[in-house]
Amino acid sequence: MAKTLDASPDQLQKITHGQETRVAARKKRLRAVKRWGWRIAGYVFFLLLWDVASGTLMSDRLLVPPAGVAREIGEIFQSGDLWMHLSSTLQKIGIGFTLAFFLGTTIGLLTQSRWWEAFFKDWVTSTMTTPGLVYALVVGVIFGFSPIGPIVAIVFASFSYVTVNVAEGIRALPKDLIDMSKAFRVSPGSRLRNVIFPHLAPYLFTGVRYGFSIAWKVTVLTEVFASNKGIGFIMRVEFQLFSMAGLLAWISIFFILMLFLEKGILQFIEQRFFRWRQEVKLA
Amino acid sequence: MAVAAASRPAAWPARIIRSRRTARFLFPLVVLAVWQLAFMFLETAVLPSPGKVLSFMWDEVRMDTLSRHTLYQSFAISLGRLIVGFLIALAIGLVIGLLMGLVRPIEYFLYDVVVVVLAVPSLVWALITGLLFGLGNNAPIVTVIGVGIPFVILNVLEGVKNSPKELFDMSRAFRVPRRRVVRHVLLPSLMPFFFAALRYGFANGWKGLVLAEVFASTNGAGWTIRYWYDAHRAQGVLGYALFFVLFALILERGVFERVSRYVFRWRPQAQLEVVEEAVPEAKLKVATVEAERMAADRGTG
Amino acid sequence: MADIRVEHLHKEFGTGVEKVVALDDVNLDVSGHVFVSVVGPSGCGKSTLLNVLTGIENPTRGKVEITHEGRDAFPGYVFQSPRLLPWRSVMDNLIFVHKDRSKETRERCRRYLGMVGLEDRGSKYPGELSGGMQQRVGIARAFSTEPDVLFMDEPFSHLDAITARSLRRELHDMWKATKKTVLFVTHDVGEAVELSNRIVVFAKGGTIKDDITVDLPFPRDPADQDVAIAKADVLRKFEELDLIAT
Ligand SMILES: Nc1ncnc2c1ncn2[C@@H]1O[C@H](COP(=O)(O)OP(=O)(O)O)[C@@H](O)[C@H]1O
Ligand SMILES: [Mg+2]
Repeated sequence: MAKTLDASPDQLQKITHGQETRVAARKKRLRAVKRWGWRIAGYVFFLLLWDVASGTLMSDRLLVPPAGVAREIGEIFQSGDLWMHLSSTLQKIGIGFTLAFFLGTTIGLLTQSRWWEAFFKDWVTSTMTTPGLVYALVVGVIFGFSPIGPIVAIVFASFSYVTVNVAEGIRALPKDLIDMSKAFRVSPGSRLRNVIFPHLAPYLFTGVRYGFSIAWKVTVLTEVFASNKGIGFIMRVEFQLFSMAGLLAWISIFFILMLFLEKGILQFIEQRFFRWRQEVKLA
Repeated sequence: MAVAAASRPAAWPARIIRSRRTARFLFPLVVLAVWQLAFMFLETAVLPSPGKVLSFMWDEVRMDTLSRHTLYQSFAISLGRLIVGFLIALAIGLVIGLLMGLVRPIEYFLYDVVVVVLAVPSLVWALITGLLFGLGNNAPIVTVIGVGIPFVILNVLEGVKNSPKELFDMSRAFRVPRRRVVRHVLLPSLMPFFFAALRYGFANGWKGLVLAEVFASTNGAGWTIRYWYDAHRAQGVLGYALFFVLFALILERGVFERVSRYVFRWRPQAQLEVVEEAVPEAKLKVATVEAERMAADRGTG
Repeated sequence: MADIRVEHLHKEFGTGVEKVVALDDVNLDVSGHVFVSVVGPSGCGKSTLLNVLTGIENPTRGKVEITHEGRDAFPGYVFQSPRLLPWRSVMDNLIFVHKDRSKETRERCRRYLGMVGLEDRGSKYPGELSGGMQQRVGIARAFSTEPDVLFMDEPFSHLDAITARSLRRELHDMWKATKKTVLFVTHDVGEAVELSNRIVVFAKGGTIKDDITVDLPFPRDPADQDVAIAKADVLRKFEELDLIAT
């Protein structure tokens, strides 16, 4: 697109000369159709595999077929439990992750100094490799069923992803562009707005995206062990009742919501924000 | 002014305070101090004092425990499961990843599924395998396999896609025999990706494993921390949590960093630093995002 | 010494609107102890010609044949970029393209490393060398195989003028001593005039526009009047040929 826009009118005419273009477009379309065909075939295949396996490979009580799970999801939606559990979980994530974001950014800025970097290094490494289970149990044993527990767990489990990305972003600051703007006497404010922030934004975004997905998982985990509300709590109940249908239904809801928030909303914002990156790639 | 001050040799106390090693050792001390203060001023019944937790840990280290297995047995059991599961994941992931990298339709067919499986939280793996297999070794091992496979696949796929065409061309021009090209060009070029798969697959497999042990096993490190939790022994839970942290640090700094430094000794120093300090998941995330974007590009353009 | 025969060579990349004609009906005959330079504007297919000749690319149409005393000739190739294995030491990079790693091979590799002034860098990794040094390793690698025919793709264009000049002299001495056939791509007309017996001129679109014989005694000093005049003549010819128009 960008290429054709740059071209002058007579060049455009040269580019869009008749048949060859159409043949190529048709080829491209054919390729896209093939690609989507294989993709959809992938989805269908695995759903069918699941459907066939339940009842033959394992009893359909244990491995509930897709239709059974769908029915269960419908019931959950009607019962009204969904919104209660969901809003409880989402609130904790909202508060916890906001705190984690500010803590993570602060430490990320601090680690520009080598001393502070060494100070925080082991902490950052170990928070990323420590299983979520450990956070869940520790806050469970200290805070009991209080909602402070999950929030603390979220902060500790997810801040380091923000930290690391902020640190990496600052380390990669485009010195050449900053020098250039200094040479042209660009004001510091404008430099911040036009050079430094646009450079840092993608790094921050990666940190948020990843930290957020960790926050999700940790919240649900703490709910499994120390809560009487929330998606994690209800998943544990279904597990203890040996109800595979209920468990899979709640898992599906959890999963779809997570994908929606991560892939849908965050990715949409990202594409909005970072359109210039696309253009750089075309050039 | 500042330059002059920096170039003057510092007096010894200042030098020690400024040293990065001091900073590193200072961190746990600060944590202990904060913890002690919290214990003294919060006056909650449940927060144990650092002393109590440390003495619990010391007992565990001396193999004096109330639990069914000693510290070493618990971690050995878990590590054994992790290794078995991850080797299986490596074998399966390698084959699938290579197939996806070499055959386009297979890539289209499986790519989305792999991305979805990558996004499955380890809690989900643990609960489902727990219900399917009941108590025993199966659920934890299958969890490790399930968590590990997508990491291996995506990294192998990346590696194949990033194979250095110009070096293969060079080998061809000099008529280098195929076997030597495989050994000196193909395999080394796959190493970074293979290593990434190993590192992050292993770390994430570990997280899934301990969860699965909680729900579907009667021993192992995950089961033991749950044991202290159910017994309402706060010092046990915190002590074991610190063992987990230590275990992670030893694995990361003692094993992976060393191996990575050796395997990638050919990289220029600057790059090496990035590899060392890069964060496991953030890096993989970037790689995965890149992979997603590349896949999208291939579709549209 | 080798014989290079190229007949009606076409090379195209892509299909449909994306089709690029890199070489269009190229005919070339080179044999014996000659130094042939290939010059032309960038994108006119010079690298592609070398890739086809060394067997990296297959021709779309036409025939290429490189023989040495009746058998397939063994080529050496100096690429535009160094193309070293980053994970092998400099010495192992040289040994990599040899048939064996015997003592003689090592000795020979060490000798050629010395020729490009890097005898003490054999155990370094490429990443630890500067760009110019890496390029020199690439040159040593090609020479160390003692090929029947040597292809070089703008090997000196990334080097500083002083290093380039001394390597040019080395190259000339070696060509003279070993009686090799050399096909040398460059966009530097001075370099071409200084080194070669023959200059093949490519134009945009991948066609050969001219084939100039340079008949001056070696060694040629670029500061010499004869050499400077020859260079000016070639440049004037380029103006007339209008190499950029398609
Ligand atoms: N692998 C390839 N795929 C597609 N096009 C190529 C490829 N290699 C070269 N070309 C195209 O062929 C033409 C000649 O390229 P090249 O031989 O590299 O030129 P030169 O070396 O003379 O600068 C260029 O238009 C280039 O874009
Ligand atoms: Mg070229």
